[in-house]
Amino acid sequence: MQVEIGYRPAHSMARVMLQPNEAVVAESGAMVGMSTNVHMQTQSGGLMKGLKRMFGGESFFRNTFTAQGAAGEVLLAQSLPGDMVTLDMTPNGYFIQSSSYVASTPNVNIETKVGGFRSFFAGEGVFILKATAEGPGQCLVGAFGGIQELVCDGNLVIDTGHLVCWDSTLEYSVGKSGAGWIASFLSGEGLVCHFRGQGRIWIQTRNPSEYGTTVGRMLPPAG
Amino acid sequence: MRYQILDKPEFSVVQVHFDAPGEQMLCEPDAMVAKDSAIEMKTQMQGGLLSAAKRKLLGGESIFQNTFTASQPGQTLWLAPGPEGDVEVLELNGTQGVFLQSGAYMASAPTVELDTKWGGAKGFFSGTGLFLLRCVGQGPLFFNCYGGMHAVDVGPGGYICDTSHVVAFTEGLQYSVTKVGGLKSLFFSGEGLVCNFQGQGRLWISTRNSASLAAFIAPYRPRKRN
Amino acid sequence: MENPQMPGQPMPAQPPPQQQPMPAQPQPQAGPAGGAPIAHEITHGPSFAMLRVDLQPGQTVIAEAGSMVARNQHVDMEVKMNAGRGAGFFAKLKAFFIAMIRKVVGGETFFVNHFSAPQPGSVWVAPTLSGQIAYRRMNGETLVLSSGAYVAHSGDIDLKMKFGGLKSLLMKEGAFMLEISGVGDLWFNSYGGIHAIDVNGTYVVDNGHLVGYEGNLTYTMKSAGGGMMGLVASGEGIVAEFSGQGRVYIQSRNLSSLVSWLTGIMGG
Repeated sequence: MQVEIGYRPAHSMARVMLQPNEAVVAESGAMVGMSTNVHMQTQSGGLMKGLKRMFGGESFFRNTFTAQGAAGEVLLAQSLPGDMVTLDMTPNGYFIQSSSYVASTPNVNIETKVGGFRSFFAGEGVFILKATAEGPGQCLVGAFGGIQELVCDGNLVIDTGHLVCWDSTLEYSVGKSGAGWIASFLSGEGLVCHFRGQGRIWIQTRNPSEYGTTVGRMLPPAG
Repeated sequence: MRYQILDKPEFSVVQVHFDAPGEQMLCEPDAMVAKDSAIEMKTQMQGGLLSAAKRKLLGGESIFQNTFTASQPGQTLWLAPGPEGDVEVLELNGTQGVFLQSGAYMASAPTVELDTKWGGAKGFFSGTGLFLLRCVGQGPLFFNCYGGMHAVDVGPGGYICDTSHVVAFTEGLQYSVTKVGGLKSLFFSGEGLVCNFQGQGRLWISTRNSASLAAFIAPYRPRKRN
Repeated sequence: MENPQMPGQPMPAQPPPQQQPMPAQPQPQAGPAGGAPIAHEITHGPSFAMLRVDLQPGQTVIAEAGSMVARNQHVDMEVKMNAGRGAGFFAKLKAFFIAMIRKVVGGETFFVNHFSAPQPGSVWVAPTLSGQIAYRRMNGETLVLSSGAYVAHSGDIDLKMKFGGLKSLLMKEGAFMLEISGVGDLWFNSYGGIHAIDVNGTYVVDNGHLVGYEGNLTYTMKSAGGGMMGLVASGEGIVAEFSGQGRVYIQSRNLSSLVSWLTGIMGG
């Protein structure tokens, strides 16, 4: 899949150039513009297996865009300001924070991971996706803020609100940041994820829920 | 009067240099960043009471405008819009007009006319309270959007764009608004209305959608206490 | 008067201070005043800047509570009150009251994190809003910053909170300014890009676009348009009119304007 990402790093938009009859699958709401010969179809039924509506959170719908008869382009963007990156599929795949997923080639299998992740984003309505593929494929991921690739060579501690995606070869556990609960609370840091092993982790340079809280409380109250 | 747009494309800010006393810039409320103290600022209702009130009722631009008038050469004025994103400038030449999504207007020279009486865009932004503003005349017109500003030169093939991402387009393009993909798609696809542009001209689309940001922030608002 | 050719650059980085000549008696290395500049990198500017600080053993960097993005496991993090160095009981009490007022008005937290590393390690820090992070090596001068602009510091730097008075509480931001002095490293952020305006006379800056200032400047707060119609209808809120000689730093976006814009599109 040929992808050009422009307007980085704040208002990134991906221009996916499709060959005749080539398709790209994208998160609902991601389409900004497209050529007139691109046909859109919403996935449903059998294709939805593995995608469950999480407690209090987002449902996950995807659309398939196919260029019919000739080449075509689709412009895709995530809803929050930030950068985008294209991931080449590896044999082990990636874990992707759900609101970071933008699009993927049709052969990438996306499922939600239940269990072990519940504490990650306690109540924030965000969940974790696992992306795997047999053979070559790509995933398009969008962040809130800039994207930084970090290489974990042993250990790394990362604030969960800043996680975008990571190699599934890494071991991880979620915990509190400070030594004790009071220190964690006072320090202002929320939950952190302790990573162990070897692998890459992509982080976003802004935390959506902190941003939301800071701006939201300045708005007039909601009725 | 000279100007430059700095901090493109994410935090575009306009720096205006007045060359002669009496030069003026009109802009939307709250756009001023900084200015020489001696530049006069006056607030007034734009274009007569009737059209101003109609604008306010329809949403989008507020009915007030600020006019900045230079009193000496060399004075500077800095202007910025509210949302993060880009600012574009067009030097209108008296012949072709441009349509702006009502929230996109930022500033203009007094010789640019803002036509809000033009009603041919019903249904364009169905239910969102936005509408189209037609700008004609001479001189610079500054418009902004939330996000990056992506220009598309529409050719014989036409172009389809999500309506909430339309910022501006040149007069001469024809457009029609449709739902994409049928009824089920309307609910589940996440895509709502799209606009099909045909003809020759230029279309500016924003790479972000303000409704999505509003939807994201909404749960963080304080709750009204009864 | 303002220089139109001024490039939109954050404040220039200062070169590290010269080493002091060593005393004759054998004594442990004194090091440069304020400590050697700490190795760091600012990435993803100008819109979503993030600061990475590389700590050597013995070095400490202090950052606003809640701003940590990532760190190596062995980097120690200790939370402390932001009451200023060497603060006595009354200074701490005053800082506490100011923090409570700020909680109502909104703004930075009362607490900061002290990061240090027994072996070399890194910590990544980022502010909450979009924008740029600028670095400045302080060499004994004084800089006044909007309190929301503080990101981190190290060395012999003193942060004194200045309360703008009850009138200043009317503003959503800018009620508190931070007077920063001393020797050491300072990192601060701007919402948008930063531009320097050299003032020699008078200049007006919208309060929400003010990052900070230095030099021989005084300012008064006033409403932009003058009169009732001006304040309410103009959309311009409070402005700061600077007089004197010095430099004012402005940012190209304004949190209050963002909030007004969002309020407009949210409706109910």
